[in-house]
Amino acid sequence: MFRPATPAELAEAVELAFDYRGDVTLVLKSGEQIVGYLFNRESTGPKPLLQMFPELGGTREVAYADVVSIAFSGEDTASGNSWETWVAKKESERKADARRSESEARARGHL
Amino acid sequence: MAVPLSQMFTVSKYVLTQQLKGVKRYPLVLMLEPLFRCNLACAGCGKIQYPDHVLDKHLTPEQCWAAADECGAPIVSIPGGEPLIHPRMAEIVRGLVERKKYVYVCTNAILLERKLDEYTPSKYLTFSIHMDGSRDEHDLAVCRDGVYDVATKAIKEALRRGHRVTTNSTLFDDANPERVRKFFDEMMELGVEGMMISPGYSYQKAPDQKHFLKRNKTRELFAKILGNRRRGWRFNQSPLFLEFLMGRRDYQCTPWGNPTYNVFGWQKPCYLLQEGYAKTFREMMDTTAWDQYGTGRNEKCADCMVHCGYEASAVADTFGSLSGFGRTVKITLSPNAR
Repeated sequence: MFRPATPAELAEAVELAFDYRGDVTLVLKSGEQIVGYLFNRESTGPKPLLQMFPELGGTREVAYADVVSIAFSGEDTASGNSWETWVAKKESERKADARRSESEARARGHL
Repeated sequence: MAVPLSQMFTVSKYVLTQQLKGVKRYPLVLMLEPLFRCNLACAGCGKIQYPDHVLDKHLTPEQCWAAADECGAPIVSIPGGEPLIHPRMAEIVRGLVERKKYVYVCTNAILLERKLDEYTPSKYLTFSIHMDGSRDEHDLAVCRDGVYDVATKAIKEALRRGHRVTTNSTLFDDANPERVRKFFDEMMELGVEGMMISPGYSYQKAPDQKHFLKRNKTRELFAKILGNRRRGWRFNQSPLFLEFLMGRRDYQCTPWGNPTYNVFGWQKPCYLLQEGYAKTFREMMDTTAWDQYGTGRNEKCADCMVHCGYEASAVADTFGSLSGFGRTVKITLSPNAR
């Protein structure tokens, strides 16, 4: 969990959260905690804002000034998925991965 | 001919109208991403790295039509995610066709055969099938065995029913020119209308960051692939863009040429870079610092030669000067002319 001490540190943390491939958790001055995907931010202007898709649904706009802390709490969705990993795997492992991904897609009705 | 005359006429009329009106920046192709969920997990793709609750979000048909109306581009390309997963995709496509947009549904074709009944053949509708090479190369690229065979079967069925079908292929640094040429022959034998090719781009959010082509290597590779072109090959893209890929012409990027709309809004500045989002197309056009993007202007753009930035530049070249138009005609009639 990161607690920015200055507006510059906060802006930097928001940029990192914007680039992150998973959910983040914000704690606001009100004590509210929001878990979700930070998909946009407007860091310039008189009242910098960030936009999130909370995991429970809807859209939230949060003023930078209201943020107390940011945690990179969700899984990095690209982690462990590299091309090298895929090619280097044994044939049996590749097939197992492919079957897993296929069965996940099938479970959702996408195959 | 790879692109039907009616489509060529519509695009030519649109571009010339924008130029006569003195419009400095105009969109050519709307990249409409109604969802990010896919039924594949290709290592080179940077479009699906989101938590599940984001992957479950869809644009509604009304949002898609409003985006097409607001943007005004004559062509709408629907990538994703896998568009055929969207439960209302056929409705979205119908609405776009009613607006006389030339729609390219970019699909991996896994679901295509099953969904074909939902679509009526039209000169406005093309299924653009993701094919990254012959069987071995394609199945390796999409990280699942058997997809090539499913896709070729779906292509045959779509063609049998009278649909327009093209292929789209992304080439990475391990591409073998001879194998790619053989793959082009296979696609032509299948009977597709035309092929689209582009070098891969190193998406900031793609898991695979090591296999994307650098500029010089891109030119070298495409010169080998497209040099001494077979007469039967048809490409569904600007002839001057292919010249650009081969290093025979140089262009600056046109990042506003293929504006992107998705569940986050209008993406700044282009289909590949995610620097932020605007609520409206106009806001995106007016607030993006365009001069900060393109070759030599931004390190993220240094090696990019992707169609979504440079094909619009090639089209503008065709209609922007007599020499550009003449060159386009010459290359169209004789692809191997220098």
